[in-house]
Amino acid sequence: MILVYAGPVSVLASLPSPGDLVELPFMRTALIELVLLGIAGGLLGAWIVLRRLAFFAHAVGTATFPGLVVADGIGFSATIAALAVALGYAGGVERAGRAGRDPGDVATALALVVALALGVVLASDVFESGAAVDRLLFGTALGLDDGDLWIAAGAAALALAATVLLGRAWTAAGFDASGASALGLPVRTGDRLLLGLIAVAAVAALPAVGALLVASLFVVPAATARLLTNGVATLLAAATAIAVAQGTVGLYVSLWLDVPPGPAVAVVGSSAYAVAALATATLRRPASVVAEAT
Amino acid sequence: MTDDAGIAVSVEGLAVTYGGPTAALEGADFSLPAGSSLCVLGPNGGGKTTLFRALTGELTRLHGAVHVDGRPAYLAQTERTRLDFPVSALDVALMGSLANGRWWLPARRSDRAAARDALARVGLADRAAVRFGELSGGQRQRVLLARALVQDAHVLLLDEPLAGVDPASGERIEALFRELRDEGRTLLVSTHDVDSARAFDRVLCLNHTQVAFGSPSVALTRAALERTYGDEIVVLDDDGSDGPVRAVTVQHHHH
Repeated sequence: MILVYAGPVSVLASLPSPGDLVELPFMRTALIELVLLGIAGGLLGAWIVLRRLAFFAHAVGTATFPGLVVADGIGFSATIAALAVALGYAGGVERAGRAGRDPGDVATALALVVALALGVVLASDVFESGAAVDRLLFGTALGLDDGDLWIAAGAAALALAATVLLGRAWTAAGFDASGASALGLPVRTGDRLLLGLIAVAAVAALPAVGALLVASLFVVPAATARLLTNGVATLLAAATAIAVAQGTVGLYVSLWLDVPPGPAVAVVGSSAYAVAALATATLRRPASVVAEAT
Repeated sequence: MTDDAGIAVSVEGLAVTYGGPTAALEGADFSLPAGSSLCVLGPNGGGKTTLFRALTGELTRLHGAVHVDGRPAYLAQTERTRLDFPVSALDVALMGSLANGRWWLPARRSDRAAARDALARVGLADRAAVRFGELSGGQRQRVLLARALVQDAHVLLLDEPLAGVDPASGERIEALFRELRDEGRTLLVSTHDVDSARAFDRVLCLNHTQVAFGSPSVALTRAALERTYGDEIVVLDDDGSDGPVRAVTVQHHHH
């Protein structure tokens, strides 16, 4: 990372004890936060990857940025402001989808650009947010409190309950929406709940990983798990395990290199994805060559 | 609505929309006795899938009435399902048990047994663990049939079930269709294969509106087919009478 030119030896020498994660009180809080978010992110991430909602999950996090800047500037609750923006965005996407007009990649990309630009303009010229911008975009391990933990626990509980109760219906609808409708499943309500739940969980993840890196928890672990599994139940289990592990290792890296947890978790998660992608590509290639030859 | 207990599907003055005020399909008006088969003909975008999605209740009715005996099973063209989805043949067959209305509960042992029986019946007992997307087109169609069997649907809506299916699989699927009809189930099958329509009890021709409905000898006339397909129809033999003709459709590609 950026700090490498302090000299590899000094970076290695500053390697913290893994025990610090549980012994330092603020690190313990951050660890619990990331484990809870890992449960929410792994479970919902599996549905996000299965339903091809990765770009939506990224966008719903980023869309909250201007809301966070305003809330920070006027001293309003960041959670409520972010929740309003995220649910508003999810509602807009759902309405567009219901009218048969897929909002599409272009509209999502535009929403991302507008949200980031608006947030930066508000932060630099209106509220002069200064150092807060870093925290809002990339998260913090230092400023987490019990309220953040409760919100993360709520998101994890909601993700688990929804997966248990709606998993079969979500699977059937994702596989074949018209067939699922014919089976009498509440396809539209299920879709609405999924979008809303992703919005709520993204807001829960903001304090730890920030508006820009929500996808590091909600997309990357499940995408890695998708490479390694071949069923919905195994995908859910693997995505959750990877998300929790990646959050723990990422937090350790963030303590070591003194960077916010968001980027550290993102780098650890993306590296795991790269390794899994390379490994599966290498393992599968000989098999397909054999299949073509026969 | 109908008074006749032997009617499996009745459609009266149906107009359907995908959301806007204009109808994607209108003027549909027909009924089918239980255990009969209907061939639905029409050009791409002519309303075949729209009709099926109206019968399942997925699409909004602008006006008209629809009555179906029980909850129909809908078998989409298999390339419209998600072939990359990590579900096995058994998983898909098991989805049929969700029609019991208690979709929030885990699958029961009896549901799993029913799914295995259904796969055995369509000749895929040994493929239960194979991923749906890795099966051949004909095998996928049979897995969707197994899902309909688990659902125990009285009415089956099949969207181009033989498209992209090799002849051997096609014969096997058609044999299954005959078995299902012998059990009193009603089959609605959409197809581009005009010639195959002669084997059905009834034929329905759609081109945004209902062009013709009746037995093959009534519905497969040159006039009806030309109104259904426009210049996409090529009539092969025609003795000059008003009776049924042999014909094929050709796809015109507009660039």
